[in-house]
Amino acid sequence: MKKVSISLYAAVTVALLIWGYYQAIFVAPNDAQQGEIFRIIYCHVPSASVAFTFFFINLVGCIGFLASRHDYPDRAQKFDAWALAGAEVGVVFCSVVLTTGPLWGRRAWGIWWTWDARLTTTLVLWLIYVSYLLLRRFAAGPQMQTLAAVLGIFGALDVPIVYMSNRWWRTQHPAPVFFSSAPGAGMAASMLRPFLWNMLAWFAWGVLILILRFHVERHRQQIAAREAEAALAEP
Amino acid sequence: MKNSRTTLRIGIAAVIILGTIGWLAYTGYGSSKSYYVTIPELSHMGQKAFHEQLRVEGFVKPGSIVEDGTHVTFVLSQFESHSPKAATSRLLKVSYSGSEPPPDTFKDNAQALAEGTYGRDGVFHATELQAKCASKYAPTQPLHPGGATATTPAPAPKPAA
Repeated sequence: MKKVSISLYAAVTVALLIWGYYQAIFVAPNDAQQGEIFRIIYCHVPSASVAFTFFFINLVGCIGFLASRHDYPDRAQKFDAWALAGAEVGVVFCSVVLTTGPLWGRRAWGIWWTWDARLTTTLVLWLIYVSYLLLRRFAAGPQMQTLAAVLGIFGALDVPIVYMSNRWWRTQHPAPVFFSSAPGAGMAASMLRPFLWNMLAWFAWGVLILILRFHVERHRQQIAAREAEAALAEP
Repeated sequence: MKNSRTTLRIGIAAVIILGTIGWLAYTGYGSSKSYYVTIPELSHMGQKAFHEQLRVEGFVKPGSIVEDGTHVTFVLSQFESHSPKAATSRLLKVSYSGSEPPPDTFKDNAQALAEGTYGRDGVFHATELQAKCASKYAPTQPLHPGGATATTPAPAPKPAA
């Protein structure tokens, strides 16, 4: 039953991605200032939103793990699996942001990269979660999960800084298009509809990978627990 | 006893890390203010303006771009041309010669950033040119009397306070 529903959800997600791509490339009109290149927004901004959301899931997982590790070890392992899945899939989406951004900037700004607050804080965010994943991989023993959880909480501090960076500081990166108080900011309805489809599609895709990653990690935990038990049982 | 010492240690580490992040943010804010200037800020800098490498921000005055390969001269204006304050706008003549022609988005009324030095001749000599993109997305409206680059007939934008 679980397999059927995940397969069904995967099929819907792929259909949404195709529909979103069609909307972005063929339905949305050219932008008056940027022409064709603006279509990168249909991948760039949803990817950033997904990354932020999944880093938040990582934060919940980290706090949950730290809070329950002594009294509810089973629940703590579940939290830890969510934390790992959130960080890992979040890093993938953050990498997409850091790849599509320079490609877009080269055409729209004339430069690949600049050390403005938005770009720099995003790179730092990516580095923090990459180090989180490295720590999980290379530190051994039961302390690893605790250390990782603490690092994850620090990493989450950067998310609101990235989000607010182009409101707080003068950046090369444009000021916010949405939820913005800047005059003239916004998106025409004919471009907004494809944008919302792409938001939905990329979120659906991200959640699919997140759930699969969570289950793989749970599986690994169960195998590891069984192996530990077997090792103890040996004479 | 051991527990409170661990808490103390984590607390100290947290203070150090948060302090560093805060200090970076604060100094970053300071440097972005001194090196990344608007046209009025440039004119208030006095003698200092001639000595520092600066990045000046403004709007490209329509019709002022004279392009000759990678050498471009244009006029940066404090406000957009259709802003109600355009008549009082401070202007800055910019002479750019760099290794690459400016990006496609560099056109009339585009927000642009020129990096270089301010000469005593009153001309800003730029070696780098960046276009800034507005956070406004709208399709081209060729029938608009403003011409091919006209965007939405939005209410005249108020300059940011």
